[in-house]
Amino acid sequence: MSLEPLNRYALGQKLTQLASADPLTFVQDGAGLDHSGARRVALTGAPGAGKSSLLAQLVGLRSQTGNRLGILAIDPSSPKNGGAILGDRIRMDDLEENDNIYIRSLGSRTAGDGLADNLYEMMNTMDEHHFDEVFVETVGVGQVGYGARELVDTVVLVVIPESGDMVQAMKSGISEMADIIVVNKADLPGARKMLNDINHIASVNPSCSDDNSWVTPVMLVSNKSPDYVAELSRNIDAHQAFIAGQQTGRARKVARARYRLQQVVDQQLAKLISQTSDEFFAAPLNRQVSTILAQLHDFQTIQTGDTS
Amino acid sequence: MNMNTSENVLKGTRILVGKPGLDGHDIGAKIIALALRNAGAEVIYTGLRRSPEQIARVAVDEGVNAIGLSILSGSHKELVPDVMERLRAAGLGGVAVFVGGTIPLEDQPYLKEVGVTDIFTADMPLADVVSSIARTLA
Repeated sequence: MSLEPLNRYALGQKLTQLASADPLTFVQDGAGLDHSGARRVALTGAPGAGKSSLLAQLVGLRSQTGNRLGILAIDPSSPKNGGAILGDRIRMDDLEENDNIYIRSLGSRTAGDGLADNLYEMMNTMDEHHFDEVFVETVGVGQVGYGARELVDTVVLVVIPESGDMVQAMKSGISEMADIIVVNKADLPGARKMLNDINHIASVNPSCSDDNSWVTPVMLVSNKSPDYVAELSRNIDAHQAFIAGQQTGRARKVARARYRLQQVVDQQLAKLISQTSDEFFAAPLNRQVSTILAQLHDFQTIQTGDTS
Repeated sequence: MNMNTSENVLKGTRILVGKPGLDGHDIGAKIIALALRNAGAEVIYTGLRRSPEQIARVAVDEGVNAIGLSILSGSHKELVPDVMERLRAAGLGGVAVFVGGTIPLEDQPYLKEVGVTDIFTADMPLADVVSSIARTLA
């Protein structure tokens, strides 16, 4: 239970500021490893897999404890103009009356891994506002992104029957990347076969836990039955208890810091490359690379955006 | 530089497109949402039939820079002041509010009086709507 009421205004404004913030301002703040905070759960899976609806049911159920719950729902930004239609919360309108639930829509911006720019800092901001649990709905990328794996504790992969997800699942090594696998829309034909197939694949792939001691549950879910959602909720609790017992908190924080460094550098590189003139590409590739790296090295150059 | 062309005049902005009230026609709201998105905005679409209270809550949570209200039911003189009052109470009195839909000319002065920044009617070109919002947010 949280003591002081959630300051929705301050949180809303802060996340808007972070969404557009230059990561170099974080570098200058000297922000270090993050502190312990909310339990973090990600729902990932292909577009149309039913992530938003499932998340709404799951959060509705878990809010009954009186915990403060946050949802960060990410939709893709246009690579062309940066715009986005953020519509995940339409499926979550039952949650909007609850003062202990906060829903935030995010554009992915330049992030290409199913997450959003500066999500690391946004998650820390959620911790500062004393959330008990934060749920991240990733962009529907089809494959489990490395980013979600690093930034959250529990990754739930949502697949649907007869969708071609099986091949995607094999490519991404699902059981390396997902802690819980959900076959959604269990009332559709082929759901049980899909469940069996994934179980077979999961038994071949190594587990995502370091010592292989977590066995990834594969389960059916349907919005026609609340029992399924309750089972998913129990599986999340079981996984949270499992990692709490592993005492790898330090390793997890280092992995998150490593991801964040990668993201900050990626963003800067993308920005520098987007600002190059057409003439820039007349130079040989090795010169192009060394020029960009020299600019990256020179923070002053980056901040003024001067690429001349 | 290949950035900041007129194509993305709204880049980095967050705009709520909401439909307060009971009318069930949202094709206009969706078209506006797409036009804003194509100009670079992040558009939070609330879906149909939201109360002024819900719209204010979403605006706070989403930290938006502007709000567009689409109203075709004729209830704009009740709904708009209600939304404005709730926004002010929530600390968002400074956020620009735009209204679109079927708004008779004679009602427009009243809506501006209660704080609406601009009013768009169905016959207005989308480009004008986008540039009006971009000018306000610049």
